[in-house]
Amino acid sequence: MPPELLRDVLMRIEKSESTWPPRKNVVACAGVCRNWREIMKEIVKTREVSGKLTFPISLKQPGPRDSLLQCYIKRNRSNQTYYLYLSLDQALNEDGKFLLAARKLRRPTCTDYVISLNPDDMSKGSSTYIGKLRSNFLGTKFTAFDAQPPSAGSRVMKSRSTRLVNFKQVSPKVPAGNYPAVHISYELNVLGSSRGPRRMQCVLDAIPASSIEPGGVAPTQTEFVSSTLDTFPSFSFFRSKSTRVENLESGRPMSAPKDGMLVLKNKSPRWHEQLQCWCLNFHGRVTVASVKNFQLVASPEQGVAGTEHENVILQFGKVGKDVFTMDYQYPISAFQSFAICLSSFDTRIACE
Amino acid sequence: MATSRKVTLLSSDGESFEVEQSVAVESITIKDSIEEGSAGNPIPVPKVNSKILAKVIEYCKKHVESAKAEDRVDDEDLVAWDADFVKVDQATLFDLIRAANFLNIKSLLDLTCQTVADMIKGKTPEEKRKTFTIRNDFTPEEEEEVRRENQWAFE
Repeated sequence: MPPELLRDVLMRIEKSESTWPPRKNVVACAGVCRNWREIMKEIVKTREVSGKLTFPISLKQPGPRDSLLQCYIKRNRSNQTYYLYLSLDQALNEDGKFLLAARKLRRPTCTDYVISLNPDDMSKGSSTYIGKLRSNFLGTKFTAFDAQPPSAGSRVMKSRSTRLVNFKQVSPKVPAGNYPAVHISYELNVLGSSRGPRRMQCVLDAIPASSIEPGGVAPTQTEFVSSTLDTFPSFSFFRSKSTRVENLESGRPMSAPKDGMLVLKNKSPRWHEQLQCWCLNFHGRVTVASVKNFQLVASPEQGVAGTEHENVILQFGKVGKDVFTMDYQYPISAFQSFAICLSSFDTRIACE
Repeated sequence: MATSRKVTLLSSDGESFEVEQSVAVESITIKDSIEEGSAGNPIPVPKVNSKILAKVIEYCKKHVESAKAEDRVDDEDLVAWDADFVKVDQATLFDLIRAANFLNIKSLLDLTCQTVADMIKGKTPEEKRKTFTIRNDFTPEEEEEVRRENQWAFE
């Protein structure tokens, strides 16, 4: 098939198969041969701004700007597993595209939730291992770990410069690691649990606070770096290369990791005089009252202008006995959102 | 009542086709060259052989006629006609795409590209390769990645 026409055909497919389950055709096209794969990945990338989920790597990329992506989580108590799905329609029925699964593993001093692309394969050594959530002994602090570094496979320029191609060729195997991605902490409301929900704070290591300012960007992983159990001795070498790649992208030095990380806090409810209770407006997406329900917004202390910090970035809440909705948007990813929600299941702060 | 002007199209292999101008100008390429006064007589159509040009003309005729028909041809009928029209072998289909692209006949390009897209959809990667005789040139690593993606997508 003539190359420019192949591109036209693949573009048509990507455009028409915009929702799941038909979107699996886009993934299938990217599995035919190198040429098709390159073209299809390029097409999907240029439409990445829509925040559509296409390839598994989409789960590690920021959600859409200006609208919440609606998902839901089903809890299976018998096998201690949580399943994340993309909602396929507006109704709260359980008809979704499977995204991620998390299995709870109790350890002597902490609890781990192993997160995987394949609900039938939850082992950390598997290629479907995405990351994990670990709680501290008291269940008050959690850390979400990403199996690969935040800058993994960062693609910088659209044009293929020699240097970039070399980088990709050199792209080393990195150990299936644990790279801290989110730090979550819970504490009682200082006014007492009768005065409002527990306080939640999430620090996102790899997302700068500037990402939510006008014109801000969040780091975007573009591919899974193949992992191996062999330790890669020049790990620091890889790191410095990736930092250089990101410098090329931003054109300015990347902010030092510990400064200016995005901090999210749970939105304070309003006191409803007539109903005599604390209320959060979930816009119909949460139907059962629960202390686990929350809405996360950017922390006001970050100096974000007034209305900006009212913008809900992640929302989680109960709709049924073992069903919860999870809605998220830019700049966090499905993986980060899922990890944060899992912590809400686990923490025992302020639970009656 | 418009005078029916005729033009002659010359395929790449030297065959002449006399058609109504209204049919010929379904092709924007031909339309432009007529309007610019640069079209010869006959109008040469390089890159498109007589077999394909005949099919293209058949398509354009049908679509011009249905647009003009006293009792408008049912859209459904036209869609059915189009579906039959593209029931050709793969090589002919690709030739039609190339011709529609070169001659700039948007509706024919849409129809043929969509046909190919529909041939592709709903098949596993291996089936797609078979349909278009494509070699699997992935490295074992890439193959593993593809396998994982497809397992997740078809979950």
